[in-house]
Amino acid sequence: MLFSKFSAAAVSSSSATLFLNPQNRFNFAKKTPSIANPLLCNSLRPIVEWSFSKRNCSRKMDASASSRTVSPRASAEQLKDPDQLIDSVETFIFDCDGVIWKGDKLIDGVPETLDMLRSKGKRLVFVTNNSTKSRKQYGKKFETLGLNVNEEEIFASSFAAAAYLKSIDFPKDKKVYVVGEDGILKELELAGIQYLGGRYEDGEKKIELKPGYMMEHDENVGAVVVGFDRYFNYYKIQYATLCIRENPGCLFIATNRDAVTHLTDAQEWAGGGSMVGAIGGSTQREPLVVGKPSTFMMDYLANKFNISKSQICMVGDRLDTDILFGQNGGCKTLLVLSGVTSLSMLQNPNNAIQPDFYTNKISDFLSLKAATV
Amino acid sequence: MDGEISKFTIEEKLSCQSLTPQTTVNLLDSVDVFLFDCDGVIWKGDALIDGVSDTLDTLRAMGKKLVFVTNNSTKSRRQYAKKFHSLGISVSEDEIFSSSFAAAMYLKANDFPKEKKVYVIGEEGILEELELAGFTGVGGPEDGKKTAHLKPNSLFEHDKSVGAVVVGLDQYINFYKLQYGTLCIRENPGCLFIATNRDAVGHLTDLQEWPGAGCMVAAICGSTQKEPIVVGKPSTFLMEFLLQKFNIPTSRMCMVGDRLDTDILFGQNAGCRTLLVLSGVTNLSDLQDSSNHIRPEYYTSTLSDIISLFNNYQSSF
Repeated sequence: MLFSKFSAAAVSSSSATLFLNPQNRFNFAKKTPSIANPLLCNSLRPIVEWSFSKRNCSRKMDASASSRTVSPRASAEQLKDPDQLIDSVETFIFDCDGVIWKGDKLIDGVPETLDMLRSKGKRLVFVTNNSTKSRKQYGKKFETLGLNVNEEEIFASSFAAAAYLKSIDFPKDKKVYVVGEDGILKELELAGIQYLGGRYEDGEKKIELKPGYMMEHDENVGAVVVGFDRYFNYYKIQYATLCIRENPGCLFIATNRDAVTHLTDAQEWAGGGSMVGAIGGSTQREPLVVGKPSTFMMDYLANKFNISKSQICMVGDRLDTDILFGQNGGCKTLLVLSGVTSLSMLQNPNNAIQPDFYTNKISDFLSLKAATV
Repeated sequence: MDGEISKFTIEEKLSCQSLTPQTTVNLLDSVDVFLFDCDGVIWKGDALIDGVSDTLDTLRAMGKKLVFVTNNSTKSRRQYAKKFHSLGISVSEDEIFSSSFAAAMYLKANDFPKEKKVYVIGEEGILEELELAGFTGVGGPEDGKKTAHLKPNSLFEHDKSVGAVVVGLDQYINFYKLQYGTLCIRENPGCLFIATNRDAVGHLTDLQEWPGAGCMVAAICGSTQKEPIVVGKPSTFLMEFLLQKFNIPTSRMCMVGDRLDTDILFGQNAGCRTLLVLSGVTNLSDLQDSSNHIRPEYYTSTLSDIISLFNNYQSSF
């Protein structure tokens, strides 16, 4: 009967509601699953064309968002011989949340482990998707926790956004509109890039949808950078949307797309993926992602320190950002279970991302015997 | 109507043509119910589009049934009826099908337990429809004033009895609501994630487009990594209510809208005739762009063309 046909269509698989007629190829519906897909990895073109037509800019799915499928790999091995792994690489890249610290608490054994690696001549680098702080501010956090880490060794996604814009020779007369926190603003300032937005400027702004009201926006905004933002509001969404849709060639850059983040050690919080998703939803465009799992930061530091990727081991607690980042970059990968991922999540048949090794926490490097999981 | 009415060929039906006097007459003759989108078709923000009032009156005088199907969830059906009246158009509440109403009806149709609560990322319209259907809505515009406090050892609490999160257009969106909705969906077992609609932008004021529900919904997709159940266009969920109301086949209904990926797709999915008006978010180059695959049966500049083209036909005899 006609009734049941319609109600069944509404109740069945959620995305099916957009695909009721398979004859209709529906661009909008194709986009929405990918916005939610955490495995989507963007490879960035270092040169970006500035001559987009207005129509292309606002309508086309950004083609640099190429998804890399994860090829089936053998299951991760429990780390039994840390020395062998340590001897096989020159550089260790560490994620921070869930690897070095949890919230503001240092994870056990971290200082000694880092000291040991340095004493063996290993280069240490810290790559975090958290864009709320600048490298300098992270340097202070490391110091407060008693860790001996140089600012030059830290690569936050806030830094990555500024570094990306520099790498494409972002014009000096153009501005960046920021939907995000202090870290991004500080890094842009250090890179000599003009910006608008941020907490104090737009976090308090309200709009009134009345007849005759029109929001103006700066036509010189040539890029919108979106990251985690606790002061997110409708004003910023509209400003960013107007820039992306109406300023010819305006870039849409995301620091990262993490769904949730451990802002406090006690629980998860909606992450950058939320704010980026929102702007993706109103502009119907995919962003250029500079943070993990995009390999932009990997390419940047490999180039800066002149290291070969096969000589790197990526250590992280998150499969769809840290481990995927390492794999996409062609490095060895080690998953630690001291953060968001548990052994059962790793071993779940639905999980396609298998690191080379896994272990409890990085201080396992110091044990001579295998760590019991 | 005098004069001969030509039969449609299959090619004509599929070819996305501009309305002419002849095809307008054919359309009026073969359609008993007109479904109208509102934003961009009837009004833009709070300004009525020219000629709409007369067009609706004329269609009613011709014996056509009129229904208004809007994805804008900020108002309830009752509040929409008020808006119509303030613009000088007489409409009854039961001719209005808003996505706010759709969300409440979806929960009803699926026997959502009355002891569970519904967290709303959206505005008054959703809360009012939930209340009318006997459900307990929490959140809404009030939570727009709340901030999330991040302190070590303090937990952001959420109500464990929330069994559904409904997300719609929300101009009071903030981090607190994103966090609350995310926790409910991720941590309350079986919690539903319902979207009133996914429109990217809309004419919330007469002068420019503003981010729509598609934005808030995508934000929650981003933090939960889940896809929502969509109750508004292009989902045909609302069609069931229309069929119950009229008992007329969908082939004798015409959907008139300004948006291809919601209005026109809704009409096509339900088997209705479709007419795109260019008075809203879609212009001719959008329609004709090679990346667009949604082809309405007809298109025209604005709603009042229906009557002027009809009069044109009449006066040619």
